[in-house]
Amino acid sequence: MKLTKVLCRQHIDFMFKRHWIIQGKRVPINLGIEKYLKEKGIPVQDALEFVKEEPPQREKVKIVGPYEMPLPLDENHPNYKERPCLTLKHTNVLLEGISQAQVLTKTIISEDKLPHRIEELAELPAPKSVHEGVKKAILSANIFDCEQKKLPKIKDPERPAYNFPRILGITDKRKNEILTNKLLHIIEKSNDSEVTLSKYVVNDIETNSIFDKEGDLIQFQDVSNILVTSNKPLKHELNETDVSYIDIPDMYPVKHTVTLPPEHFYNDNSFYPIQRSVPMKHPHTTWLHFNRTEVSNIFETPVTPSQILGRSLTHAFTIASSYAKQLYGEDVKDLPDPVHINCIQTDGQRFHFGVFELNTLNVDGTDGIKNVWYCKNDMKLYDSSRYLNGMPVLENYNPKVYGYINAFYNC
Amino acid sequence: MQLLKVHRTFPKLKQLITRRYAQALQREQDEYTDQPIYPPILDMTSKGKKKRERERTRENIKNINTVEEKQIALNMPRYYGWECVMLTEDSVPYNAMPMVQHYTRTHFKPVDSLPDVYQDSSSMADTVVQEIKSAIEDCIVIENEGIQRKITTVLNKNAEAQRENAQARNIVKQINRIITNNLSDKVSHILSSQVDYDPRHEAFWFVGGVDIPPKVFFGRRKKGWPKEAALEPVNRPVQYLGIPLLTLRNHLPLKPVIPYSECENPEFKVAQFSTLPKSVGYSADFRHGTNIPGFWPGDFDEFGLISYHGRGHMLARPESFGTEDNLEALHCQAMKTSFGWLLAQANYQGFTTYNDLTYPLVTQTVITNGNLISFYVYQLNTISMHNDDLDNPKHNICMGTKPMNLYDTIENGKVKGLNDDVLKMLVQFYLNAPEEREHDMKPYLGKEEQFVADIEDDNKRSWLESTYKHLMSNRPKHKLLPETYLWERIYKIEHNTRFFEAKRRPFELGTNPFIRRLDDHLPPYIPKALRPYPRCRKKFETTYYPKV
Repeated sequence: MKLTKVLCRQHIDFMFKRHWIIQGKRVPINLGIEKYLKEKGIPVQDALEFVKEEPPQREKVKIVGPYEMPLPLDENHPNYKERPCLTLKHTNVLLEGISQAQVLTKTIISEDKLPHRIEELAELPAPKSVHEGVKKAILSANIFDCEQKKLPKIKDPERPAYNFPRILGITDKRKNEILTNKLLHIIEKSNDSEVTLSKYVVNDIETNSIFDKEGDLIQFQDVSNILVTSNKPLKHELNETDVSYIDIPDMYPVKHTVTLPPEHFYNDNSFYPIQRSVPMKHPHTTWLHFNRTEVSNIFETPVTPSQILGRSLTHAFTIASSYAKQLYGEDVKDLPDPVHINCIQTDGQRFHFGVFELNTLNVDGTDGIKNVWYCKNDMKLYDSSRYLNGMPVLENYNPKVYGYINAFYNC
Repeated sequence: MQLLKVHRTFPKLKQLITRRYAQALQREQDEYTDQPIYPPILDMTSKGKKKRERERTRENIKNINTVEEKQIALNMPRYYGWECVMLTEDSVPYNAMPMVQHYTRTHFKPVDSLPDVYQDSSSMADTVVQEIKSAIEDCIVIENEGIQRKITTVLNKNAEAQRENAQARNIVKQINRIITNNLSDKVSHILSSQVDYDPRHEAFWFVGGVDIPPKVFFGRRKKGWPKEAALEPVNRPVQYLGIPLLTLRNHLPLKPVIPYSECENPEFKVAQFSTLPKSVGYSADFRHGTNIPGFWPGDFDEFGLISYHGRGHMLARPESFGTEDNLEALHCQAMKTSFGWLLAQANYQGFTTYNDLTYPLVTQTVITNGNLISFYVYQLNTISMHNDDLDNPKHNICMGTKPMNLYDTIENGKVKGLNDDVLKMLVQFYLNAPEEREHDMKPYLGKEEQFVADIEDDNKRSWLESTYKHLMSNRPKHKLLPETYLWERIYKIEHNTRFFEAKRRPFELGTNPFIRRLDDHLPPYIPKALRPYPRCRKKFETTYYPKV
């Protein structure tokens, strides 16, 4: 279509709009009527005298609705603070991944090296029936569960405008929930009842840790999808000498608070959801789900493997530090006794194992006492598990992963 | 190409050759018998013919090999789905008991203690209760006071009810964890059982003996049916939907509570409830019938042991319903959930609402809010209650207790008055071991092919699998449902103002667009580029709908 065609088009609404604009700016013309009337002796009155005043504003009636409305997020909100807090939520990831997490938590990393005790326990063979159970759990999570919800849209980069039929199936959230809960259930069933009685398992609890780093207020808000707690604090014997640590990197020119959005509504105190009075309050192992549909960068780039590993570290730090603050008070810096915590992150297929040793909550700078993160990443539980041409398939089950999960539970 | 042409001409050539040495088959020698054998006398009235047709359909469904195909077959007569009476787990209208009993064909027996089958495990349960008692007390305190959680609620349901169910879910998870951990080295079936959280339970069946809606009556009269015939009841499709808090299932079924022969006892007879479901507070919805016991066909653990359900919906009931009706509402919930789950399980064994069970199935249901617990044992004896099977002597049995307190109060971080008897009943549910049955569990399924995954033909298998999942998802149709628009009602039906227009709409042609078979559609078109070879004449993909 030619451009002229659009411009030449007659449109009655255009005329109407123009007409209103023109008529709205009308200048009154003095027709000399007032003078003429005065000459005749007829009184003239000002029209503005008859214009009514604006009615007084009425007070708003408070209507009791079916539910309580949330408070408006403004200066009067009880949680409003002048000083912004840089917040990392469980749906967000750090831009630089594991190295940024290292700087934020002042942690050195021993990669592919877990404490000896765990490595020993992981070698123990499990009975065949247990592995059958694990296989059943994998199949149940990926194939046999009946959830039919919309999965993410399929996009073909070659032809981005093409709409594929939307597939219904098991969402990644549900897959992870089923798999991890069933795995833990199998482990607990195959253990002695004395061991299980000393532990407690809670699902989906929120933890909050807030701290200062070099003048910035930072908070980590995290959800532990499964938190195994025990009746005495977890202790690892970590006097290993042959470990080479990855030191805290220098991220210049990137600042360590990049991609942490500032927030004005927050609580001043850290929050550990299990109360002091509970005997089984000591965190033992925390399970973290990586749900690809929920976790994303604040910019639209896809999440990288390094960022996923960074999540494990910040998550373990959140739980350990909030627990330590509950134990020793909000202002504790160097801990009298290190806090240990195990962390397992999974996306339903890959497992990332980590053991975190919290030595200090003073995370300024890179000198002095540091925290330590032992990790073993990227262990695949299986290669693929899905319907292949209408047949349920589980390819290349890896029994070693179960060994590590069991070792984490028993250490 | 040349070769192909030869192939086509070959059968024609064959006809040209004269068959010189052919002769008629020899007649059978013993064509005559001493006693005359007559063919069966068939009822040739239209009623009789229709009845035979229905029987043939049932027989066809029975002869289908796989579970998934049977489910598709149940849905074959309706393209837009059945207009189902919706029974949900969490809404019980006033005075629901008679209807639920008739729809599930269940005799309800209120009891104070568990049936005799559970006597054997009594002493063992006592020791287990003593072992786990303190752990249970701890978990109740921790869940009520020790952990701070944020419970998010949705707006379209009662917030109070949702909060109570969330709390119940947490406590049930802990109690289940403690009991299974304790029992796993004492009894073998616990280790091999699977635990499901929030599984999807759905069941579909036909109920006969219900009055017809006035719309159907007047429609029939318009067609000139005599009044008696116009009043004849139709099968009502019923769909149950529920989400338990937690279930346990195993690869072996539980033992029957009462002998199977006992289920024909006339004492268990349930009164017929012919009132329209719409007039007692149930709604109807167009959907494909689904039978889902929390897993897809092919899973190894097919039989349910225990299911836990929340009772948050009781908080949403008006106070004017009274305590007695509230108690009945719990019983109704138990009957619906137990029947729904067992029916879905029975469907995975190859039985459908048209082909009755040949052995009983049992499940145990617990309804709780974390403190109040009621126990139910349900034995499914029959799933056939359609119009042609109204005088079916078999009935299902449900035995249930009143809600009992697990504990009295929580004071100073301690549980006061934990009720050992209630805990013992719960442990006995877990101790009730499933057993292997001596009879054939799947008489109506194929020997080699029991699930679609067993089918050898790749195309057929994939097609059936995706069609089955598509039906079970009940996702909205791409095109809108047929409808008589209001302007049509005014200007075409009520006032014939557009007589000159061509008559193309269903009401002008005198057809019902909703009576359309599932396979009554054009199969997917194969573009020429994707056909197996050039000049291939096959334009449409093959469909594998079961023939019923």
